[in-house]
Amino acid sequence: MTSDDLAYATIADITNHYRRRALSPVELTRALLDRIERLDPTLHAFVTVTAERALADAKRAEAALGHGQDASPLLGIPVAYKDIYATRGIRTTAGSALLADWVPEDDATCVTRLREAGSVMLGKLITHEFAFGIQFPGHRFQPAKNPWNLDHMPGGSSSGSAVALATGLVGGALGSDTGGSIRGPAAFCNIVGLKPTYGRVSRAGVITLSWTLDHTGPMARTVEDCALLLQGLAGHDPADPASSREPVADYAAPLRQGIRGLRVGVPRAYFLEGVDAEVEKAFEQALATLRELGAAVTDVEIPSIQTSWAFLAILMAEAFAYHERDVRAHPELYGDVLRERVLAGGLILGSEYVQAQRLRSRLHAEMLEVLGRVDVLATPTTPKPAPTFAAVWDPSFGFPKSNMPPFNMTGVPALAVPCGVSSEGLPLSLQIAGRPFDEATVLRVGHAYERATEWHRRRPRI
Amino acid sequence: MTLDEVRARMKAAGIEIAENRLEMVRRLLSDALAPIHAVDSRAARTLEPAVMFDAIRSAEPRRDDDDE
Repeated sequence: MTSDDLAYATIADITNHYRRRALSPVELTRALLDRIERLDPTLHAFVTVTAERALADAKRAEAALGHGQDASPLLGIPVAYKDIYATRGIRTTAGSALLADWVPEDDATCVTRLREAGSVMLGKLITHEFAFGIQFPGHRFQPAKNPWNLDHMPGGSSSGSAVALATGLVGGALGSDTGGSIRGPAAFCNIVGLKPTYGRVSRAGVITLSWTLDHTGPMARTVEDCALLLQGLAGHDPADPASSREPVADYAAPLRQGIRGLRVGVPRAYFLEGVDAEVEKAFEQALATLRELGAAVTDVEIPSIQTSWAFLAILMAEAFAYHERDVRAHPELYGDVLRERVLAGGLILGSEYVQAQRLRSRLHAEMLEVLGRVDVLATPTTPKPAPTFAAVWDPSFGFPKSNMPPFNMTGVPALAVPCGVSSEGLPLSLQIAGRPFDEATVLRVGHAYERATEWHRRRPRI
Repeated sequence: MTLDEVRARMKAAGIEIAENRLEMVRRLLSDALAPIHAVDSRAARTLEPAVMFDAIRSAEPRRDDDDE
């Protein structure tokens, strides 16, 4: 196995190697720490590398394997966390000067769950400031670079998570998604990202952006790896008031059932408006592949989909509610643009917030009605490939329209899977959304598509 | 939304935003509020706000052990 093959091994492959004693957790951890040391000065995926902790975790996993305790599919798997997940004794910055030296006393529930599953913690990954603001030149934390073209953004806000996966620095990572922050970076970096159903994965110990839109979830190099991570994360958590008691399904077992007979709905209005021609072409080819795999693909209509952008009013109002005290007291500790985005939330009237939530109710009801007639929805994840840093640093760039927030508004699960490459060599992505708590079907469709294509196997030249 | 409307809201909310960022804020608010200002409340009278959001619309009874 070459060092690249080792770095890009899937979680499922690593587990097989461990069980055959062809690889040890300490060996893999050392190899990845060396790779991080070599590549991360260019990529800026990590805020903090926890080498001592990683080696201690790896030795513990190695001992467990030696005792035949290999039941957990995450035992000895090297992972890292977006730096808004609280980690006990390890600084958690949220990519922010305000929290640059904050060392939490407790782990986020997700961190606890992956630790208890035997994973190896490699470190903390850069996030856009408070998962909302882009790092402009001169920001305290440098932005992660897109490994497919270092002049382009890797997406946000879970940028470090996507970059670390795309470059073989980690085996799995966690992100958070308020309006696409798992799926967008996954799309721009050619990896897989899952925003689970609202309430499926705990947000306890994860810094809030917007209470009613925030989701936590896994990012990985394959759909199967996302399923394995989700299995370790999902389940009720009394520490998160929005956490659901819905039973946790088996996510890995149904993956190989295929998708013959499944109904795929394509909501063209909104989701295909303003998309680049090559994004549209890749999307249509993805639909053709789903048809070849036996799915019935039909167009569907979500009548009030054009009201989805009320999402932004909810996000901004809730973000201001969370940040008001700090941004009024210490505006200088907020980065340019984030400060104005947060303050703008204080200009939204109470009546406007309520109207936005009413529009959300209608959109939610309509989406559930459509998902009663089809099993999943398919759309392009993003209308365009990754923009350049120069473009997003232009103050007129704004907050671009996106295909991802409708699924934060409605709380249904949504997955981003690689589905092509642009003429500039940048990744393109397919978004698959499903019924509440039916991550199993969403993952099944993604896995079937992934097995029928080679896009997810592409690796950037670093 | 005009820049003057943004300034009026800033005054009412006691919020200061640098003059060179006002246009960005104006566009952000215009985008966010466009679908909201288009709502005809009387036509959608029965619509309740999803302030307590639940992905399956089936409020689960709170259990005594939730705070443990």
